[in-house]
Amino acid sequence: MFLVYDPCDGSRMRILIVEDEQKVAEMVSRGLRAERYAVDVAANGDTGWAMAHTYDYDLVILDLGLPGMDGAELLRRIRGRSSRTPILILTARDATACKVDSFEAGADDYLTKPFAFAELAVRVKALLRRGAADQSSVVRVGDLEINRLTQHVSRAGQRIDLTAKEYALLDYLAAHPGRVLSRTMIVEHVWDQSFEGLTNIVDVYVRHLRSKVDDPFPMKLIRTVRGAGYRITDEGAP
Amino acid sequence: MNTRSIRFRLAAWHAVLLTAVFALLGGLLYATVKRYLDDTLLETQARRARQIAETLLANAPRTGESYVIQEIKALYDPELSDRFIRVTRADGSVLYVSGPPNDQSFDPSRIPPAGAGRASEFTRLERLGEGGSVLIAAYRSGAAQGSPYLVEVGTSAGPVDRLARHILELLALGIPIVVAVAAAGGYLLARRALKPVEEIARKAEIITQHNLGERLPVARTGDELERLSTALNLMITRLDEAFRNSKRFVADASHELRTPLTVIQGELENLAADPQLPAELRDRVGSTLEEVERLGKIVQKLFALSRLDAGEAQQEWVRLDISALVAATSDQMLLLAEDRNIRVTRDTGDPVYVMGDRARLKQVVVNLIDNAVKYTPPGGAVQLIVCRDSTQGIIEVADTGVGIPPEAVPLVFERFFRVDRERSAADGGAGLGLAIVRSICVAHGGRVEVKSVVGKGSRFSVILPLSAV
Repeated sequence: MFLVYDPCDGSRMRILIVEDEQKVAEMVSRGLRAERYAVDVAANGDTGWAMAHTYDYDLVILDLGLPGMDGAELLRRIRGRSSRTPILILTARDATACKVDSFEAGADDYLTKPFAFAELAVRVKALLRRGAADQSSVVRVGDLEINRLTQHVSRAGQRIDLTAKEYALLDYLAAHPGRVLSRTMIVEHVWDQSFEGLTNIVDVYVRHLRSKVDDPFPMKLIRTVRGAGYRITDEGAP
Repeated sequence: MNTRSIRFRLAAWHAVLLTAVFALLGGLLYATVKRYLDDTLLETQARRARQIAETLLANAPRTGESYVIQEIKALYDPELSDRFIRVTRADGSVLYVSGPPNDQSFDPSRIPPAGAGRASEFTRLERLGEGGSVLIAAYRSGAAQGSPYLVEVGTSAGPVDRLARHILELLALGIPIVVAVAAAGGYLLARRALKPVEEIARKAEIITQHNLGERLPVARTGDELERLSTALNLMITRLDEAFRNSKRFVADASHELRTPLTVIQGELENLAADPQLPAELRDRVGSTLEEVERLGKIVQKLFALSRLDAGEAQQEWVRLDISALVAATSDQMLLLAEDRNIRVTRDTGDPVYVMGDRARLKQVVVNLIDNAVKYTPPGGAVQLIVCRDSTQGIIEVADTGVGIPPEAVPLVFERFFRVDRERSAADGGAGLGLAIVRSICVAHGGRVEVKSVVGKGSRFSVILPLSAV
């Protein structure tokens, strides 16, 4: 157990990771720290309970299979304290029953190993923002403008007509500007879980989306990241 | 009626054997009774003949022949007792012959004279016309005691013949009835005794690798059938255990692979995100990441399969319209087909309701459409049909693709089976899509079938039981 809590930096969000796999814990905490979160790690359920009990965390990332007090018990205890802290379950078990049980016990989100770090980051951000409702109705990436209320898309003042799926895809990319989104994340978000494994559908739709959003313009916004997925950004061409 | 069934054959053999035994017994009985009666009758006649010869005729020289005749009439009263008595002299002339018997069963005057034999005692059966027959015992009185006479005493064979005929009739009528009753009884008994076999067979037919938890019925009768069903059940238990072990292995293995995969993927992503990484290295890291992601997907699918096989699918069943499901799903995939210049036609009419897990049934449709599009050359067509019969709903996905060689057809739903290894590997497939389709169908109490002609196309049919409501 190690604490990297800087008491002077009150603005940073504090996250507790309860995970017994040291390498997973390291990987996740390093990634989250890079995103400027304050991260504590507990390697077993009892330590996790002690820490969650003592400090006021903004988010708890919880592995279900833990030595000592197991994740499900810890989840019940944290919720038993009537804590409003969002809890994200991170587990190798992806049985539906397990998922349902966790949600019923008060979990806010559920992520199955293996996962793309980007996926975790996106979910963490969403959980921390919950309640703040800072979702602005207009999203801009460079000269691309997406109006979420009217679902109008325009670039450099020119109106672009998109199909419903193309819009959903663009909206998802633009909601996380600069971040690489894996094909799996895109499939599960824009389509649904039944399409899992059908990642080639993403490539086809991205190609169509590009033909409308990028092809007519010199600056390409939708970038392919080899092995990782896609991201949208207006930073200099890679 | 199955003429090869054990109970039929048992009953048939039973009947044949009974018929043979009864026929033999009946024949013996008939012959014995007939002979006994004939013998008894003849014995009586012979005794009388001897009496007449020894007591009356021996004294004939002294008493005179007319006295003998009188005595015969008085003592034996032949007409009244339906007897035939004839006394013939040595020269062949008849001393006395009785008149027609009371019951008119024969005519004594028509009975031919006995031949001139040398035997002192003999018997014969004289058949007369009109069916009558007379059993006759003859006695030749010795010449030494005076003039030799031939005494013949007979009686109608009719009563004995009638009795014998009665016995024959009784046997002819009785044996078939007894045999029929015994055979029917044997059939019923055999059916009752073999009833557990029927139940065992019916149960055994529905046991597959997916319901190995079930057992054959065991009738606690202590007989061979109990032993058989117990032995079979033990075998199913061992099979069950073996299947369970292999499933547990797949589940455990895919579970254990998750954590290391998470670490590998995370570290590689981290590496790839490093802006200082040279482009060439970045490319290699990216390529590795792609493989890691593929590996992750295989692990996930294997785990999903083991969960389906463990029967977990039932938890989220709802009543749903597969017609609408196919329509909505294919809408979401249209671009995939268009992209390959493949025309998708849809024939989804009225709602067809089944009970099932929406996400999983959708996965069936997604996998089948994806498969059809993948293996159909540009310019081809994919046809989707949803229909129903009285008990089942049917989803058909037909393509004009490359088809499946006949020897591969039974294998396409097996895990990791690929018709064309190189090609599907390039598509990133692991050969698990159709295995998942089958597992989902089976978990829903249905099945999936395929018909295919190489070069013409394939037609996959998903058959699901209709919702009862």
